[in-house]
Amino acid sequence: MSEPLLTVENQRTAFATGRGLVRAVDGVSFTLERGRTLGVVGESGSGKSVLSRSIMRLLPPNARSSGEVRLGGRDLTAMSEKALRALRGPEISIVFQDPMTSLNPVMTIGAQIGEVLTRHLGMSRKAAKARSVELLASVGLPQPDVRVDQHPHQLSGGMRQRVAIAIAIACEPALLIADEPTTALDVTVQAEILDLLARQQAERNMAMILITHDMGVVAGRCDDVAVMYAGRIVEQASTEDLFRDTRMPYTSALLASIPRLDDPPHRKLEAIAGRPPDLIHPPAGCAFSPRCRYADDLCRSQPPALEDAGRGHRFACWRPMTMEAAE
Amino acid sequence: MRYLFRRFQRLVVVMVSVTFLTFLLVNVLPGDVAYEMAGMDSSEEEVQAIRDELGLDRNVVLRYLDWAGGILTGDWGASFINKEEVWHALAQRFPVSLELMLLAQLIALSLAVPMGLISAYRPGGRADRVIGTLAFASVSMPSFMTAILLIFFFSLHLGWLPATGYEPLSAGLWENLRPMILPALALGLVEWTVLMRTLRAEMIGVLQENYIALARAKGMSDARILLVHALRPSSFSMITLLGLQVGRLMGGSIIIEQIFGIPGIGRLLVHAVNTRDFIMIQGCVTLFAIAFVTANFLVDIAYAWLDPRVRLERARG
Amino acid sequence: MADITPDRLEGSSAGAPDDNADAIASHNRKNRLGLGFWIPLAWLAVVVAAAVFADFLGLFPADEIDWMHINEGPNDAHILGTDHLGRDMLSRIIYGARVSLTVGFAAPLIGVGLGLVLGILAGYYKGWVDEVIGIAIDTWLAIPGLVILLLFSVVFGGSLGMVCLSLGLLFIPTAARITRAATLNHSNREFVLAARAMGASDFRILTVEVLPNIIWPLIAFVLIDIPIAIVIEGALSFLGLSVKAPTPSWGGVIAEGREHLEGSPHISLIPTAVMFMTVLSFNLVGDAIRKRLADVRDGAI
Repeated sequence: MSEPLLTVENQRTAFATGRGLVRAVDGVSFTLERGRTLGVVGESGSGKSVLSRSIMRLLPPNARSSGEVRLGGRDLTAMSEKALRALRGPEISIVFQDPMTSLNPVMTIGAQIGEVLTRHLGMSRKAAKARSVELLASVGLPQPDVRVDQHPHQLSGGMRQRVAIAIAIACEPALLIADEPTTALDVTVQAEILDLLARQQAERNMAMILITHDMGVVAGRCDDVAVMYAGRIVEQASTEDLFRDTRMPYTSALLASIPRLDDPPHRKLEAIAGRPPDLIHPPAGCAFSPRCRYADDLCRSQPPALEDAGRGHRFACWRPMTMEAAE
Repeated sequence: MRYLFRRFQRLVVVMVSVTFLTFLLVNVLPGDVAYEMAGMDSSEEEVQAIRDELGLDRNVVLRYLDWAGGILTGDWGASFINKEEVWHALAQRFPVSLELMLLAQLIALSLAVPMGLISAYRPGGRADRVIGTLAFASVSMPSFMTAILLIFFFSLHLGWLPATGYEPLSAGLWENLRPMILPALALGLVEWTVLMRTLRAEMIGVLQENYIALARAKGMSDARILLVHALRPSSFSMITLLGLQVGRLMGGSIIIEQIFGIPGIGRLLVHAVNTRDFIMIQGCVTLFAIAFVTANFLVDIAYAWLDPRVRLERARG
Repeated sequence: MADITPDRLEGSSAGAPDDNADAIASHNRKNRLGLGFWIPLAWLAVVVAAAVFADFLGLFPADEIDWMHINEGPNDAHILGTDHLGRDMLSRIIYGARVSLTVGFAAPLIGVGLGLVLGILAGYYKGWVDEVIGIAIDTWLAIPGLVILLLFSVVFGGSLGMVCLSLGLLFIPTAARITRAATLNHSNREFVLAARAMGASDFRILTVEVLPNIIWPLIAFVLIDIPIAIVIEGALSFLGLSVKAPTPSWGGVIAEGREHLEGSPHISLIPTAVMFMTVLSFNLVGDAIRKRLADVRDGAI
């Protein structure tokens, strides 16, 4: 079998702060094949956005990063900033969470899409503009020939996110990272944007990492799901396996927090008690143990390793749940 | 539109109070114009005749209204001393001062923008600290001191540029610019620091924005991010300051014109103050006020150009 | 208890620790008052001491003309040389410091004091009071500061007191605006509304509830204004519009030396250097204190 599109090997990213080292990503490894979708799920502060920036190699100056990120056989961690810039756009691109702030307020839509085309594909300005209109049409923006000359403030949130997607797919990247692409949007628009991403991905045969805090988003849209907690992957499986055969209590708690259609109205969503762990002084054992209702002395004293339980279902837990317990 | 109207209203009130205030001040200037006009050995009758002719004994408010009426109909009055039309004197000297101020502001901007960009690129870095120190030194160096140093070094020591003088544009562009370089430098070298600091502060904020992160993710070069993506949204405060600085610039040009012997409004004003030529003083101050107000109005327009959101509000009126 | 809520802040979490680190690092830097603070402070101490005790330093009288020793460079008798009338430069610079320092301290205090009153009135009473004060301030701003000083100096003459007062007037607009904004900000806070509900008088509310909250930005503002006042006084005396000759002032001494820049540059350049160092020192010391004040205030809240 040839090498997967993306290999992340023991990635660690920490930030030096006055209070100490914040270990935002703490030894993450996974692979992603071409054209596949990986969902990365976790609470705020679980390190999933930092992971996405570690893959893009877009880290602030005070970040300490180690590990290996291989994209199409090349080790991104060993590349110069200049070489990386040439990759961002044509090979790997990203859609951010908040479309209200991720577009430049003083540049036209056309200029923001067009510069990617002129920079990476060497198009003329005129060709870039024509191509921008096509891209806008393909992401379902009405009146693309008018919108191309407008500024972001003239567009709604959903429309802006469509523009952001158009920018991300402009150079047909092999890998698209969507970092909470629908969190800031109205509920009615969320499904449209997710469907658009799925359609673009299928059409262009891109691999996608879909980052979200919402288990409901990954269901049915991702091939695989990785659950992150305290900077580590705590459970990873095919979406089907994960939903059917949940092993990690944390995953189970995340699943319980999805509102269901058949819920009685105003049912209180089940929430996970306790706070996410302090990433400067993480708990000695399993990071989730202080909040886990099954935790015992072993959980609190020794960190469990991420182990494969067959069929690519990996989890890190001393007291994995059985199917019955998950019900 | 209502906002614009309110602004305009306020503007008119300000203009009226500026001119009236000056009128009052000028009128309590010590020394009697009539005496000076009449000459040393003139009789009381002759002086009184001049007073009557100028209407100096009338109520200040009435005389102000007369003067203001004249301004509105284009009659700025004539100098008491040499009978020169105030309007004519101003029209002749204003372009000179304007050129000086524009050159100074150009120098200030061409220092402030690159320095601000470099500083904001890595705040706290070596370049930032060097520029910060330079700015401190520069802001502690008022224009008249800079002028002395520039003259000492470039005129007397090196002999490259003239220490005084002025050539009209008709004498050729270089001939016109040559004697303007040192004065404009003296003015501009004080002003750049404030502009630079303002740009730096705003740009550090802008560089934290998500759209800058996206530009990086798009593979844009640092230079392009700074110049194309960050500069425009970072310039709002700096542009506002450009307008407010016009006041300081005019004050500075008074001294600089004096030092370098440039025949602009500043020298005209100092001369008028020294000779108690109050109709001329009045004209100079009025022109300064108009220039200040106009500059700030232009800033409003520049805002609209910089920020498409403002432009839209305007269009909707 | 933390719910699993949409983590809107997640997007910025990559930057958050960064800001944090910067803030803490610069905080530590700020708290150390290094040579950049102590050397300028020492210089200011020397200048102030010399100005205060000028009469006891055994200097030549500042206005003693000596035609036998004009335009002399620094020598044994005259450490900093003499000017075009043979007057001792050191003495003129030290006595000049008196003028500069007096104006430097008095003018900002006068301006900020008056601006404080106007700003509080505008921000607290709002309505027409605010409107009138606003127009007055706009008017004041529309006339270049130097023009105002020019007229004032001719109308009211060049006594030291008048120079301080008229220069102080220039600081009113900004001080008033800062105060007004801060007052507007604070006069709607709960504690002010509560005080008002309990029947406190306006004066009491303003002095007890509002004033302590707006005094810090104003103190910082005075610190910025001291070097500015010294510079403007310098410009004014350079034009011969400050204190009357023969009282020496830095700007005046620099201006007198301008004629002799070619043969005896020390007459202009020495006072220029002294004034530069003094203004720079005030800027550096003021900046350090201002950062300290901000830290103290942030820490207190």
